[in-house]
Amino acid sequence: MSNAHHHSTGEHNPHLAHHFDTMGQQAGAAKLGMWLFLATEILMFSGLFLAYFITRMFYPDMVLGAHEHLSKVAGGINTCVLLVSSFTMAMAVRAAQVGKPGDPKTGAEIKKYLIFTLLCAATFMVVKYFEYSAKFEHGMLPGKFYTAHLHGYEIDGLPHIFFGVYFLMTGLHGVHVLVGMFIMIWIYLRASRGDFSSQNYAAVENTGLYWHLVDLVWIFLFPLLYLVR
Amino acid sequence: MSKVYLNGKPVDPHSVHEVHHHVSPVSLYIVILGALLVLTGLTFAVSYADLGAASLPVAMLVAFVKASLVVGYFMHLKYDDRYHLFCFLGTIIFVGIFFGFTIFDLNSRDALNDEQRTFVRVEELVNGGNLPKVGISNDPTRLAEYEAKHGGEHGGGHGEAKGDGHGEAKGEAPKAEGHGGGH
Repeated sequence: MSNAHHHSTGEHNPHLAHHFDTMGQQAGAAKLGMWLFLATEILMFSGLFLAYFITRMFYPDMVLGAHEHLSKVAGGINTCVLLVSSFTMAMAVRAAQVGKPGDPKTGAEIKKYLIFTLLCAATFMVVKYFEYSAKFEHGMLPGKFYTAHLHGYEIDGLPHIFFGVYFLMTGLHGVHVLVGMFIMIWIYLRASRGDFSSQNYAAVENTGLYWHLVDLVWIFLFPLLYLVR
Repeated sequence: MSKVYLNGKPVDPHSVHEVHHHVSPVSLYIVILGALLVLTGLTFAVSYADLGAASLPVAMLVAFVKASLVVGYFMHLKYDDRYHLFCFLGTIIFVGIFFGFTIFDLNSRDALNDEQRTFVRVEELVNGGNLPKVGISNDPTRLAEYEAKHGGEHGGGHGEAKGDGHGEAKGEAPKAEGHGGGH
């Protein structure tokens, strides 16, 4: 099949795997696979969101009291940073979509936007580091590690449960940000090799989809954990 | 030559050299980013206004609008193959089932436990009554109401534990040793 394709079209895209007939088919398969992966991601996070809602349902006053100790400003900054990074990521994908094959400018454009995205991701992690440090310092930790009462913070109810939910949700999300950064570095290196253009950009696009999902999770995390009364 | 299929449709292999794609204009991305930032500011501002019970639905509504913008434009679902939208919405439906059934169970379980005397958590045995009370329990007030309505033959015991423990639970919660081997 691929031989037939080979001979009949004359030109052969070096990024076309032998088990696909066309680049369009290959990109479609990659994208469908990505969406199915995103589905499993959404389901994984939904378990933690449900844990949050149950905690909230059982202990509304405790959640209210404990969430006052999270920094709204830090969370807000991180929200804006992630939204901007989603924009730059979309621009990186666009740069690949409109890039001419073999044109070094294409790779340069993709790399420029990837650098912006990586900077945003790094900013997010730095803010997260300061937030976590403050929580560690104040003993606001999950389960048996909770010692905030020894640091002069009296939170009524069972705040160690809230901080368990908080650390699991933001922690899993933070791990996703870190993984996203590594994937972006990989895409950066491939862009340097001139792999991407309008003829081959599925990898950039799927990285974008993943990154937007990370943003999506945070869009719900931020108001629930930091803002809602 | 064998047939080539693209998105479920047979296509002429000679005509599909290019990847089909939709390129959004930069201005659209900038507008979407602006809208997302404005909505973030809105949620932030609303969190300072005391909306009471409406605060959760309002925050979720804004988050839902923001999520739709990200999914529709940044993730291209508005222009993409419909099958990807189907995958995404299918997932959301399953999340809805997951949330709906769990919350429904937790909300209705107390009444069923009262009615059928199937109280499952024997807190006293597990932790000598030292554990801060967790989650579901036969609330003594509610149980008394049930007994009054239906004529009580319940020996009691579990119901009491919850009532006694609740006041202390608040004070004990921060202590790390308070809930060692419980759950």
